[in-house]
Amino acid sequence: MAARPRAFPPGIEIPGYPRSSPPGLPRSVLSPGKGRSSVARDFNPGRRVRRPYISCVLLLFAACSLHAQAPKPSPPIRFEEISERAGARLTHHTRVFQGKKADVLGMFTSGGAAVAVGDFDGDGDDDLFVTDSGAGRPCHLLRNEFRPTGKLTFTDVAKEAGVAGGNDPKSIVADALWLDADNDGRRDLLVARFGTPILYRNLGNGKFQDVSKAAGLTKFANSIAAIAFDYDNDGRLDLLLGHYFPPIDLIALPTPRVLPNDLDNAANGGGVSLWRNVTAPGSSAVRFVEVTEKAGLSHHTGWTLDLGHGDLNNDGWQDLYLADDYGTDRLFFNNRDGTFRDATREALGGLDTKKGMNAEIADYDRDGWLDVYVTNITDEYMKECNMLWHNNGDGTFTDLSKETGTCNTLWGWGAKFGDFDGDGWEDLFVVDGLRSAGPENYIPVLLEMIITPDIDFTDINNWPAIGTMSWSGHQRKKLFRNLGTQAFREMAADAGVDNDLDGRGIGVADLDDDGRLDLYQTNANQASLLYRNVSAPAGHWIELRLTGTKSNRDAVGARATVRLGGAVLIRELNGGNGYAGQSTARLHFGLGTATRIDALEIRWPSGRIEKVTVPVDRITTIREGSGVVK
Amino acid sequence: MRRFRTLLLLAACAAPALHAAAFDDAIKAVAAHQDAAALPLFEAALNAEPDSLPASNEYRKAVIRTQEYDRAVGFYEKLTAAHPDAAFAWLNFGYAYVDKIPAAGSITQMILANKALTNFSKSIERRKSWIALYTRGNSYLYWPKVFGRAPLGVADLEQAVAIARAEPRKIKVYVRSWVALGDGYWKTGQSEKAKATWGEGQQLFPGDPQLQARLARDGEELEKYLYDQLDPNKRVDTNLAPLYEE
Repeated sequence: MAARPRAFPPGIEIPGYPRSSPPGLPRSVLSPGKGRSSVARDFNPGRRVRRPYISCVLLLFAACSLHAQAPKPSPPIRFEEISERAGARLTHHTRVFQGKKADVLGMFTSGGAAVAVGDFDGDGDDDLFVTDSGAGRPCHLLRNEFRPTGKLTFTDVAKEAGVAGGNDPKSIVADALWLDADNDGRRDLLVARFGTPILYRNLGNGKFQDVSKAAGLTKFANSIAAIAFDYDNDGRLDLLLGHYFPPIDLIALPTPRVLPNDLDNAANGGGVSLWRNVTAPGSSAVRFVEVTEKAGLSHHTGWTLDLGHGDLNNDGWQDLYLADDYGTDRLFFNNRDGTFRDATREALGGLDTKKGMNAEIADYDRDGWLDVYVTNITDEYMKECNMLWHNNGDGTFTDLSKETGTCNTLWGWGAKFGDFDGDGWEDLFVVDGLRSAGPENYIPVLLEMIITPDIDFTDINNWPAIGTMSWSGHQRKKLFRNLGTQAFREMAADAGVDNDLDGRGIGVADLDDDGRLDLYQTNANQASLLYRNVSAPAGHWIELRLTGTKSNRDAVGARATVRLGGAVLIRELNGGNGYAGQSTARLHFGLGTATRIDALEIRWPSGRIEKVTVPVDRITTIREGSGVVK
Repeated sequence: MRRFRTLLLLAACAAPALHAAAFDDAIKAVAAHQDAAALPLFEAALNAEPDSLPASNEYRKAVIRTQEYDRAVGFYEKLTAAHPDAAFAWLNFGYAYVDKIPAAGSITQMILANKALTNFSKSIERRKSWIALYTRGNSYLYWPKVFGRAPLGVADLEQAVAIARAEPRKIKVYVRSWVALGDGYWKTGQSEKAKATWGEGQQLFPGDPQLQARLARDGEELEKYLYDQLDPNKRVDTNLAPLYEE
């Protein structure tokens, strides 16, 4: 399928950020002398420490160079790593299994390090729920203290709130999600597990109550992903769970044949389950019923790793993209009658064999159509390339990852769009790395198994032990700056986010209300990172906090459209897109140098369209039917 | 017993005739854009003459066009079982796997590539031909460094170049062994030897574009170019026509 030529939408230029600078040169000519922050510099595992005399020589050379040439301009996007001082550095633990093949099973379940961003206490700033997966290990609810103190610090209140549990002997926490399940204005918390999910109802006094059983969420599954969206536009948030393994008890294995039956076209995974929210209006008795089969999603039996939703055909209804490990991703269009149709072949031009790890959705090229970004595995031994599914606007998509420079993120995991420099274009942060351990490489060992004739891949006993070997570990993260020309430039090192930890999930949010999007990165079996955005100067901005009335209270699925100097920017509020990471519920728009916007329109999931006026460089609350309320 | 021997003799005499007829019919079908109809005709031709390079070559080309990769694999499996000494049947059995690689997922690619190597080795065991040594040597180069197979490729390609050097006639297609051997040296960290090998090839086969492209590049540009050449997602040229047409 060939990419169709499109008229490219006009851009917003920020002085000093030319879009056509020569390759390899930083594009900004901003404040000089800003190097990597000390925290970021100190926390950079894997970097070699240079000897003092070499440093002296370099220093001397640098001093001489200062006289000879202009100071190096600072990059347009900069972050500083502040997890330790902000009280947000948490070490994740993967589950340790017992038995002969415990380490192989551990590898196959090496996710579970997730972050969900949401304002649980209604104080206006975003809080973080961070998962752990070790037996008996607590999960963390990090209350953001920015609003009361003006300092970006966090306090772990999980135990008092009653949400620390979940890693019991029979269950493994794998993902988490904020959603207002009963439309009472307080965000509840779903914890997805290899086991049964937990739904905590937010009681509004800093405490939560486990209502899973009463809500009907008692079905055992090996869930690794969860999104909340209103698939039938009835004003209530429904749940879609992605299941990796089929529903077998991994902790007490009934059979050793539990692994994928094909490493490129596996069809023995857990698929997905769709749960319709049937809570009575005004009732706090949350209730879900499973509608997977009725909705036309039960034939999907892949190894689901991530779920993404969005209105991909601009018809006002939420569509689905499922990223599957060991083979075929799936794209479903919403039939607007409570069912979905599998459009994978016609929309994506066939069935893929890649290792889908992440489904993130945004309009990266500002053409008014949501695009899909999927991470896969691109490494020395597997050349899959990611997929940037450019929405052609006619129900089909064209993969432009190679053309845009976003193809290679090694062993990819979570990926999130966000306008990190506020220039009006969505940039992209991607984390990667499977297992960083000893110097020995697991791949040649694994190959011997893979090429054994007639080997049964499903049998865990056939997989070689990994011991202390590394497998696609120590990989540098990627930050792609959107150049606005169907091209991105990778600049993670310049931006200070090129850590080499085993990344999993990303939460994007403006945690300190300064209009710049910050990042929280979770890592498997390693400490998490909090990157505060210190890009300076960043563009002007608006942030919108939406409240549904006829639509679901969280306004998931609402679309904001900003018109600005001939450009049209859209943001759609999603309920947890991206692997192991839910981002802020505020819609953020970078505006570049613009100090006003021409028009802002909200299309609510109910179908209502509202035109509103909002101030620039402010967070504005908009209520469905009432316009701007704060 | 005597009658059986006579039948065998007759069959042996008839085989080339059978082959020629089936092969001609297959070529006609291909010319008429009836690839699917050509496949059984090529198979009949190969059953009559399993070592025929033209028949295998045209058969696999039709297989690529129809994407009937599994059919070809199954056919060569039976052919080599029936004719275990047919060196070129084993060679083409390996190519049948190579032809399928671009249509496969990243893990299956490794499995197919490994099966191809096994069959190339069986071909070499039966006849140490230039084409089989070149093919296996070149195949080893496609494997990522981590698997340590490039030195095996260099060993095969050194033998292929030796055969080519000893050939009194300058056969154009042999230039590929200089190209690949240089690639092998480069992949094993012997960049000077790589350049020298490509240079020698250039002297013997002036104007060869593959050699020119390599000799015109250096450093990162050369590295990128060579990695691009050895991308498993790109279809490998397994067309043997230059070998027998010359």
